[in-house]
Amino acid sequence: MRTWSDLEQFEAFLEDGGMVEPNDDMPDEYRQEVFRFIEFHANSEMMGGLTERDWIPKAPGLRLKQIFLSKTQDEIGHAHLLYMVAADMGVKSRTEILEDLFDGRSRFHNVFHYKAVTWADQIAIAFLVDAAAFASQRAVFAECTYGPYKRVLKRIVSEEGFHMRHGEEMVLRLTQGTTTQRKMFQEALDRWWWPSVQLFGPDSPPNDNLLRWKIKSERNEVLRHAFVQKYVPLLRGYGFEIPDDDLRFEDGQWLTGEIDWEPLKATMRNGGPDSRRRIETAATNWSDTAWVRQSLDAALTRRSAA
Amino acid sequence: MAQVNDVLEASDEAVRAAVRSALLTVDDPEYPGLSIVDLGLVELVKTQGSNVTVGLIPTFSGCPALAMIASDVKLAVELCDEVQSCTVEWLPAPVWSTGRLSEAGETRLADNFTVVLRRKDGTLRCPVCGSDAVTDQSMAGPTRCRSVAWCGSCRNPIEVMR
Repeated sequence: MRTWSDLEQFEAFLEDGGMVEPNDDMPDEYRQEVFRFIEFHANSEMMGGLTERDWIPKAPGLRLKQIFLSKTQDEIGHAHLLYMVAADMGVKSRTEILEDLFDGRSRFHNVFHYKAVTWADQIAIAFLVDAAAFASQRAVFAECTYGPYKRVLKRIVSEEGFHMRHGEEMVLRLTQGTTTQRKMFQEALDRWWWPSVQLFGPDSPPNDNLLRWKIKSERNEVLRHAFVQKYVPLLRGYGFEIPDDDLRFEDGQWLTGEIDWEPLKATMRNGGPDSRRRIETAATNWSDTAWVRQSLDAALTRRSAA
Repeated sequence: MAQVNDVLEASDEAVRAAVRSALLTVDDPEYPGLSIVDLGLVELVKTQGSNVTVGLIPTFSGCPALAMIASDVKLAVELCDEVQSCTVEWLPAPVWSTGRLSEAGETRLADNFTVVLRRKDGTLRCPVCGSDAVTDQSMAGPTRCRSVAWCGSCRNPIEVMR
């Protein structure tokens, strides 16, 4: 176990590329901040996985069902690993984290507060949302001073990279499809473009603890800008329109119109268009499976008594 | 069989050698840096002149990466000067097991992905701190080929190839 006499010494340790481990006596501010960040990430994986699960029976064709089945397992598995790391930090137990989520007291990524209307929405999500999430996770992985989180992120980032390939494949298929299919994707793009851009969050505050303690490696606005540079030409190249009347190309870069942050703020209060239904579904899922947890606990008690 | 001009006239052995080295460049999509050869997916390579058949076996039959791996293999092998065409087949047998992983593959999984294999006696060694204080947590992990364990010593989640 390592200890630091004060925050200043701890920050110097991080500045030198030091990695914090669970057995270290880390400053409480750091512990709370890292915990909140991992909890948010874990909740997002959980809610994302539940959303993808809804589409397994509706996915057209066995191969896509298999992909959605695996992606669902991936996301829930990621949540599982992240909840283990988060609960170990001693701020909240795993049950408390989950109950806060299902009672609507926690936050999760804005993109899981919207309704996926058609199958094309699911493709837009796989293509845009997964890419945005991947970019922001990769930027966390690049530094990430909390050891167990960095190790889990390594696997998550590898797997999300694999999801992105599926997203690209599905978009390519749809773009080569019928006029109706292309129209479906355009409509989905109209719904998902702004939430994907907003996923990166507003500009990072000047004195962001997450950046100072190297949980994040890059400012929100830098990641958002890079995302826009990549996806605007790609989507236009496929023949789709970006739903932004003020989008322009200036000095060699794409600039979006002014971003309205109200929708993002609403999702962070769990007041997005589909927040209530999603949280209720997740909560029902949790209560419907209580008997499994109770049976396992009972079996464990019996075994240790024997 | 007719030879196309841009395909080198090569001996069977040279074709096979080229295919082997091409296969080493194909990574499992979920483990960047770990080749399908080290993972033990390659069962056979058959050649008929410059036409090649690669027989692979999946870790788990429901693996979502199968189509992607097959197309990556086809692409890599057909890039060889010695090869005209490559057919990829998923074989129903033998069944993949962790014993098929190469030593290099095992090391890479442990060092890069915190993923370990179970020892013969069923115990686990933590790839982070080397402790034996690793206990199973759940049969299912993020993928079909891994379960989840926990190291009580360094307090890291560990995944286990199964």
